[in-house]
Amino acid sequence: MIEIKNLHKSYKMGSNSLHVLKGIDFSVEEGELVAIMGSSGSGKSTLLNILGMLDAADSGEYVLDGVPIKDLNETKAAQYRNKFLGFVFQSFNLINYKSAMENVALPLYYQRVGRKERQDKALKYLDQVGLKEWATHLPSELSGGQKQRVAIARAMAAEPKVLLADEPTGALDSKTSYEVMDLIQKINDDGNTILVVTHEEDIAHMCKRIVHLKDGVIVEDKKVKQVRAQQYV
Amino acid sequence: MFDRDIWQEIFHSIRNNKLRTFLTGFSVGWGIFILVMLLGSVNGMQNGFTKQFNDDATNTIFIRPGTTSKAYAGFEKDRRIQLKNDDIEYIQKSFEKDHEYISGRMFRNTSARFKSETGSYNVQGVHPDFQVIEKTIVANGRYINENDFRSGAKVAVIGRKVAEDLFKEEDPVGKFVEFNSLPFRVIGVFTDEGDDNAERNIYAPLTTYQKIYGNTDQIDQIALTYNPSYNLTKALEFSGRLETILKRRHLIAPEDQSGIRIFNYAEAFSDISTFTGGLSFMSVVVGILILIAGIVGIGNIMVFIIKERTKEIGIRKALGAKPSQIIKLVLLESVFITALSGFVGLLFATGLLALIGPNMDFPAFSNPTVSFSTVVIATVILVGAGLVAGFIPALKASRVKPIVALSDK
Ligand SMILES: Nc1ncnc2c1ncn2[C@@H]1O[C@H](COP(=O)(O)OP(=O)(O)OP(=O)(O)O)[C@@H](O)[C@H]1O
Ligand SMILES: [Mg+2]
Repeated sequence: MIEIKNLHKSYKMGSNSLHVLKGIDFSVEEGELVAIMGSSGSGKSTLLNILGMLDAADSGEYVLDGVPIKDLNETKAAQYRNKFLGFVFQSFNLINYKSAMENVALPLYYQRVGRKERQDKALKYLDQVGLKEWATHLPSELSGGQKQRVAIARAMAAEPKVLLADEPTGALDSKTSYEVMDLIQKINDDGNTILVVTHEEDIAHMCKRIVHLKDGVIVEDKKVKQVRAQQYV
Repeated sequence: MFDRDIWQEIFHSIRNNKLRTFLTGFSVGWGIFILVMLLGSVNGMQNGFTKQFNDDATNTIFIRPGTTSKAYAGFEKDRRIQLKNDDIEYIQKSFEKDHEYISGRMFRNTSARFKSETGSYNVQGVHPDFQVIEKTIVANGRYINENDFRSGAKVAVIGRKVAEDLFKEEDPVGKFVEFNSLPFRVIGVFTDEGDDNAERNIYAPLTTYQKIYGNTDQIDQIALTYNPSYNLTKALEFSGRLETILKRRHLIAPEDQSGIRIFNYAEAFSDISTFTGGLSFMSVVVGILILIAGIVGIGNIMVFIIKERTKEIGIRKALGAKPSQIIKLVLLESVFITALSGFVGLLFATGLLALIGPNMDFPAFSNPTVSFSTVVIATVILVGAGLVAGFIPALKASRVKPIVALSDK
C-alpha cells in the first residue's frame, strides 16, 4: 500500500538547514496497523505529513497504492488527499461552527457527493463511532474523546485507502484513549490500513507493528502481538 | 454559485461574526448611499435649472441694441443704436425659414387708475406673436390680436396682480382703465405661475404705444423664436448670422460686442448642460472614491477573516479542498456582503429621494431622482467591488499551507 525509498527531508531555517529525515526506507501492506514512535523532534510528524501529501519530500520515492507521488501541484495534491487519505490530529481540528454531522460530511462535499447521500453517509459513520445521537451538536458541546471520534468518523467518511493519525490520543486521558484505540482497532479489523504516531508504549502495543524513529532514521521495526483495547474500556 | 453548501457556509460565517459583517457592509452601503444621493442631487439641480428656463420658450433669441464701442464706417464710437420696425420686417424677410415667431418690445412705465385705485406698472408694447414667445397664459379674456395691432387700439392685457390691485372683486375684462390718463380697454388677464412679479406686467399693442410716444417707429428690443426643428449647432449658427447681418445693417464693427447684443437661450442651455454634466461627472468621481474606501475596508476585513480562519482553511485543504474551491468561498462571501450592504444603501438612498424628492421644489433644485440605469450601474459596481475586495484575501487563503495551519503549536 505504501512504499517509500530513501526519503530525505530538511527544513531551511534562515541560513541553516535542519536535516529531519535522513533516508527512510519503509513499506506498509494493506490492512496493517502501524505505530510510529520516537522522541520529540525525531521527525514522526514530518514523515506522516509527507505520507499525507501535506508536505513534499526533498528526495526519495513515494508510491501510494501503486501511484507514484511526485511533483504534485496543489490541486492534484488536494484530489489525492481527498481520494486516498484520512487524517486524525491530536487537536481534533473540527470546524467549530459546523455540527458533528456537517464535519463528517465535509470530505464528501469535496468528493462532490450529493447532499442527501452525504448526510446519510455521515450519519452512518457517526453511528459507527457511537455518536449518532450527537449528530446535530457543535464540537464545543462534545468531550475530547467524542471530538476525536467525530474526527475519526470524518476521516473514514471519504473511505480512504490509508488513515493517518498524529497522536490521536495525545490530548485524551487514558480511558478515552483506549476508547479511541478500540475504535481504531475495529476500523483496522475491517481491513483498513492505519498509521498512528504516538509517544505512549501502551498505545503502540495496541497496534500490530511498531516503527522506531531516531534522529531521522528508522532504528527499529518490529511486529508485535496486538493488545486489544476493548478489555480496558 | 447556486451551491447550497457554499451559501450555508457564508451564512454561518456571517451569523458568527455579526459586528464584523456589519462594519464591513456599512462602509460599502455608505459609499453607495452617498453616490446615489450625489447623483440624485445633481439631477435635482438639472431639473431646477430646466424648470426655471422653461418659463420662456426655450428657443428664444433676444436682440438688444446698445452703444458702439468702436469707431466704424465714418461714425465715432459711443453711438447709440436704435432698432426700428423695419428691422423686424427685414428679419422676417431675410430669415423666413430660420424664425418662427417674432415681436418688437417697448418698455414704458405707467401710472394706472381704475375708479379710486391707482398703481404704477410696467407696460410692454408687443406684437401678437409675443404671447407664444413668452408663453403667456391668458386666464380670462384674450391676448392682443392682429386687429388690435393693425389699428393701434387702446387695449391692454393685464397681469393677475394688476387686476387684483385695481379691480378688487370686479371682472376687469371689458372695463376701461386709465394709463397716464388715457383710457385703455382691458381685453384679458394673464397669469404666470410661480412668478408674482411677472403678474405685475401689462401688455399693450406695440403700435398703440408707438403712436402715444411721438408717433415713432422705434422699438427697444426684438424677441424671436428660431425654427424649433433646429438643434443647438444650427440655432447658434442662426444667431451668428443674425448678428453679422444686423451689425452690417446698423454699421457696427463686426467685432464690436456692445453695439448690438444677441442673447440666444440655446447658448445658455448648452452652458447649463455642460455645467450639470460636469457636476454629475464630479459626483461620480467623488462617489467612486468613497466606494474605493469601502472596498479597501472590505478587503482589509476579509484579510483579517482569512487570518482568523487559517486553521479552518488548513483543515479543508487536508480534507481535499482545492485552491480554486477556497477562492470561490472567499470571493462569494465578499461579493455577498458587498452586494447586500450596497443594496441596502441603494434602497435607503432611493427611498429617501422618493420620499423627499417630490417635496423639494426650489428655484435651483427640484425633484431629485435617480434613473433606473443609475441603479443598474450601481449594482454592477457593487458586485465588481465585492470581487475586487475579495480577490487578494482569496488568493491569500488559497495559499494557506495546511501543515502550517494544522501544526498543534
Ligand atoms: N515547518 C517546519 N519548519 C522548520 N522546522 C520544522 C518544521 N516542522 C518541524 N520542524 C522541525 O523538524 C524537527 C522534526 O519535527 P517533527 O514535528 O517531525 O517532530 P516529531 O517527531 O513529530 O515531534 P513531537 O513528538 O514533538 O511531535 C523538529 O526539530 C522541528 O522543530
Ligand atoms: Mg509530532
